[in-house]
Amino acid sequence: MGDLTTTPESGETPRPRMAFFDREAPFGYGLVLPAVLYLIVFIAYPFLMSIYMSFTDAQAGNRTWTWVGGANYSKVDSYEVSANDFVVATFPTQPQAAAFIAKKGEGQQVTDAVPGGRFRASIVVAGAKIPLIEMLSADDASFNASSILEDLQWKARKTIGGKYEVVAHSDTPLVIGTFPTRAALSSAKRQILVDADVRTKTNGTGVLQDPNFLLAVKNTFKYTFGTEVIKLFLGIPCALLLNRAFRGRKLLRGLVVIPWVIPIAISAQAWLWIFDSSFSVINWTLVHWHILSPAHIINFRGDKDWAMFSVVLVNVWRGFPFTAIVILAGLTAIPDEILERARLEGANAFQRFIYIIGPMVRPILMVSLLFSVIFSFTDFNTIWIITKGGPFDQTQVLSTYAYQLGVNAGYLGKGAAVSLFMFPIMALMVFFMLQFLRREEA
Amino acid sequence: MADVVLEKVEKRFGDVSAVAGIDLTVQDREFLILVGPSGCGKTTTLRMIAGLEDVTSGDIRIGGRSVIGLPPRDRDIAMVFQSYALYPHMSVYKNMSFSLRLRHTPKAEVERRVQEVAAILGLSDRLNRKPRQLSGGERQRVAVGAALCRQAGVLLFDEPLSNLDAKLRVHMRTELKRLHQSVKSTMVYVTHDQVEAMTMGDRIVIMNGGSILQVATPLEAYDKPANRFVAGFIGTPPMNFFQGTLTAKAGQGSVDLSGGINLPLTRPVPEGSSRPVTVGIRPEHIHLSVEGRGNHQKVPATIDVVEPLGHDVIVTARSAAGNFQMQTEIYAGLRPADNLDLWFDTDRIYLFDRETEWAI
Repeated sequence: MGDLTTTPESGETPRPRMAFFDREAPFGYGLVLPAVLYLIVFIAYPFLMSIYMSFTDAQAGNRTWTWVGGANYSKVDSYEVSANDFVVATFPTQPQAAAFIAKKGEGQQVTDAVPGGRFRASIVVAGAKIPLIEMLSADDASFNASSILEDLQWKARKTIGGKYEVVAHSDTPLVIGTFPTRAALSSAKRQILVDADVRTKTNGTGVLQDPNFLLAVKNTFKYTFGTEVIKLFLGIPCALLLNRAFRGRKLLRGLVVIPWVIPIAISAQAWLWIFDSSFSVINWTLVHWHILSPAHIINFRGDKDWAMFSVVLVNVWRGFPFTAIVILAGLTAIPDEILERARLEGANAFQRFIYIIGPMVRPILMVSLLFSVIFSFTDFNTIWIITKGGPFDQTQVLSTYAYQLGVNAGYLGKGAAVSLFMFPIMALMVFFMLQFLRREEA
Repeated sequence: MADVVLEKVEKRFGDVSAVAGIDLTVQDREFLILVGPSGCGKTTTLRMIAGLEDVTSGDIRIGGRSVIGLPPRDRDIAMVFQSYALYPHMSVYKNMSFSLRLRHTPKAEVERRVQEVAAILGLSDRLNRKPRQLSGGERQRVAVGAALCRQAGVLLFDEPLSNLDAKLRVHMRTELKRLHQSVKSTMVYVTHDQVEAMTMGDRIVIMNGGSILQVATPLEAYDKPANRFVAGFIGTPPMNFFQGTLTAKAGQGSVDLSGGINLPLTRPVPEGSSRPVTVGIRPEHIHLSVEGRGNHQKVPATIDVVEPLGHDVIVTARSAAGNFQMQTEIYAGLRPADNLDLWFDTDRIYLFDRETEWAI
């Protein structure tokens, strides 16, 4: 069959050209057009725009955006070297070490110039001169050495080799110095002349240097995997229950999906009351049953240990009906004869679940899990309404943090960068799940 | 010994009686066919033997042991389902060995049995395939193979061939019959197809409305149908029925059909006044001529439709007594609207009581 709209080849009888409204191709394009427009205007354009924005210094109120390359993603201003413990000296016996520590108060700090334009800071304790650090600045070197001698606590510690070492310890890390480049950093590390637990921190304005961003990544994974695991644990038994024949099954099937169909903006208001610091019904019940004393009621949204639990609870409450209904669909798709055959062949209820029902439901379960993971990973509503990412960013996830940075703080470029971090992570997750599904089908 | 005995077995679903107190004995190693139209209770009977359905009352014994209340797995049975019920996520090997693995049969024994059964069924090179990679006939054989691996005393079949195309069905019919001759199991086979019942069974059980109408060998059921339903159900094309009146005078019986046609009977009938009967005659017992054959009665008829089957021809004809079909080898010259005399073989006439429908 040739295309009806092309001119016939020579030799064939010429066909009359069809009227415009009788031709199928224009009609088809006409039907597709709204969807294509929608995709371009509401999906492709914002996505590409946010990619572009993440490479600029876009800020709310700025008309001109300047290209800044990957600075929003990663930009290191300096490297900070710090340590908590410095091994000052080592002795064969403990009394010797104790005697050394006792002389700490009489210790002196001296700084000498060494070749290469550096200054070596040492301390002199009990007649022994111990070189600690070499730096380009005499002041910095002597400041660090003085801190070790005067501010830090000295303790004797037994080593694995059976000797005793004197350790200068600081509870908060002693910052030895900040260095502009990685090269300067590594040479600086080499100039610490005693054993120390040297750590490096990068300071910078890129998202990757932002400890809050790293916390948000951690929280996002916690939130996603927490909710997904609980959803499965609740969804599977719920689906098995709904699959049984009992009176009022249809009613219950309808009721179960209510959390899923109520808009989150409405149900979250109820949850806000349930989690209220003064009027929480959970607290009231626990106190009423003498499980909690009124002095120890839980602040669900304000306590940093409970906030994540609270948002996970809301998401689970809202999402597990979807999981249950999808699994139920998988269960009802299993023909009765297959389960009867399994029963006949000697499989008990548990074996039927493990060997027959489980494997047969698995593909559809994976699809539902895929959707559910995507929804949880990108969930903004639940967290924004319940905690706004608080307290102390304990429930800050990528989507809320992107909003905080991009909209509330006005750093559009950085906000775009944060939200785009979700893209490769989710692409990877989807890839692995689809891979798994394909293997199932093979 | 794996004989199956059903005693006054009844099954009710609420107020509806599906099986109305049947008695049936299946001999050891017999191939018994339960046949009947949809809803006659044959599948329910099979499912009660399997233990998939509880009996409302009555007793079922397999190998002399009552199985009422026993779960299916303890009944020494295996079953082949209509839809085959293969586990889609398991290979053919795992499908066939599932029941053995549940029983913790030693691996070597499982392997031996599966290979043996696969060889019988011609599935040896399909063992690693998944069910969806198999043809319909192969799936059917896997289902049979899974049942055979159990080496159960009784094999139950629930319309196993009804999902196959016509040609394959004929082939599998032969295969199953051959299988029965080589394995030592009792087989109970449910079908609604009377051809399957006739060709495969040692004995057939014809059921209707939850009751057993006749238990007989296929030829007995064909020759001596116990009632009108059996007569109409067994045989293709089906038996012709006419309404008539039986009269018996001095041991000589005859039937009056409408249109003044009288069929004299050659067998003795009970003496008595005339009674309404249903008269049955099979299409193959109506002939175009009488040459050298037994007692026949002439019936003038008009040919309506001629359906050639190749070797045979089925002719639908009109007569004063009513419409009927005949099957004959001779085919030349028969045309619609031809008027001719047809001959009813009066030795092969069946009589059924109009009220009770049982054979007279």
